[in-house]
Amino acid sequence: MADVVIQATNLSKELTVSLSRRKVRILSGLNLSVLKGETYGLIGPNGAGKTTSLKLMLGLLRPSEGSVEILGEPAGHKGALARLGYLPENPYFYSHLTGREFLDFAGELFGIPAKEKRERMAELIATVKLEAAADTQMRKYSKGMLQRLGIAQSLINRPEVIFWDEPMSGLDPIGRRDVREILARLKETGTTIFFNSHLLPDVNDICDRVGVLNNGKLVAEDLIKNISADGNYKDLEEYFLDAVSDKVRPA
Amino acid sequence: MKQINAVKAIALNTFRETVRDRILYALIFFALVVTVLGIILGSLSVGQDIRILKDIGLATISVIGGIIAVFAGTNLVYKELERRTIYIIFTKPVSGWQFVLGKYIGLCLCVFVMVAAMGAFLTLIITISTGNYALPVVAHQIIEVGQELSLIYLELLFVTALATFFSTFSTPVMSVLFTLSIWLAGHLGKSLLELGKLSQNQTLEQFLTVVFYCLPDFAGLTQIRGHLLYGIHPGLEVMLYLITYVLAYVLMLLVLAAIVTERKEFT
Repeated sequence: MADVVIQATNLSKELTVSLSRRKVRILSGLNLSVLKGETYGLIGPNGAGKTTSLKLMLGLLRPSEGSVEILGEPAGHKGALARLGYLPENPYFYSHLTGREFLDFAGELFGIPAKEKRERMAELIATVKLEAAADTQMRKYSKGMLQRLGIAQSLINRPEVIFWDEPMSGLDPIGRRDVREILARLKETGTTIFFNSHLLPDVNDICDRVGVLNNGKLVAEDLIKNISADGNYKDLEEYFLDAVSDKVRPA
Repeated sequence: MKQINAVKAIALNTFRETVRDRILYALIFFALVVTVLGIILGSLSVGQDIRILKDIGLATISVIGGIIAVFAGTNLVYKELERRTIYIIFTKPVSGWQFVLGKYIGLCLCVFVMVAAMGAFLTLIITISTGNYALPVVAHQIIEVGQELSLIYLELLFVTALATFFSTFSTPVMSVLFTLSIWLAGHLGKSLLELGKLSQNQTLEQFLTVVFYCLPDFAGLTQIRGHLLYGIHPGLEVMLYLITYVLAYVLMLLVLAAIVTERKEFT
């Protein structure tokens, strides 16, 4: 049996609305597992709980109920964090740093030795095509450039698992193609990929498996190849729309 | 070693950010104030102009250093949350204590550079005002100003720790208020005890006594600085006591800040 890299069990999260002190349930009983080397896409409408799920998996939030394990360790465990990479949604980094300084900062946080870090930085700057802007302060970067740099920093430690929140956000069609290529290369190396996205064609192209989150609940989950294979659905969009209206037909 | 790397990286980033963002404005402001004072006092006073210039100069360094420590310190964590850069840090193998210590060291380094630069400028103005450029005289000025600055810096180490602590759980405005209140109350020293006695209210007296013993005694530090201005030097024993006293407070505040950060959720 393949190794389970991400395991969420009955994961729930309630957050307190600051002024009224009212508790709002953002996520309810999420059960999800992602296998080693798998590419998993979590899709859902705005406010479905995708980013909250990701933050729980990374230990930025603590579950109200249930648990998450990443690489066999509880979420937020330093040993596991050393082996994963994360790209936040709409990344906004330190505007006073240059792109190269920021990558250096990220490498230092992982404690990567100087020589290895320098080589990795050069490699990643080339991969995300930021050579010309690497020594420019980030305050002068466009949204797409910040997204590319965010992707680069998430890969600085050669992670075994990557968590990307809306990786295509802010990218033009060429940028999206480049990210798809990066993901394809990561897949070839056996990296486990977990990402949130609104862009269903990209999810369809990249993922092995997809889960649909709606109102904090996982309402549907299947392998991409199964979704249209049995003729139930024309494409992922149709599957998604049925899932969020509670109409997914059993395979 | 890896743990130290993260502290170093966060410290360097904080230092760069503070220096590139705002510190030059304060430096320019201070330079203008002292230059203007130096010129005015040089032309008006007789005899005491250097003493007054030094007094005002050191007070300005203390206040400007304090402003930098308070305002940069209270924004430390808030800015990271607001910009969501904190996600980048805590999704890497970084603990709360590494984050807090890195931020604190970075800001202290920045305050040090600032105080040293302002001190150098003050010494230059004093030297020009005296008109005596003989090496022993200049060296004496440097030592005198340096001793005062080290006491000012000691106090600022505490103010920075206080601001760092409040920034871990409070908004910048509230953190500024808390930090300034404690900083100023610390300067009241034994006046707090006297105030308690004058109140003739036992509860208030007890409360102010507890407050007095909890607060750092900045009044004592200011008194030593005052003595230094008149050439009275504290002994080594007093200096060691002061350093231990401030470092114990700093350590306690940083440990508390690290505990708060470790327990924090990043929504």
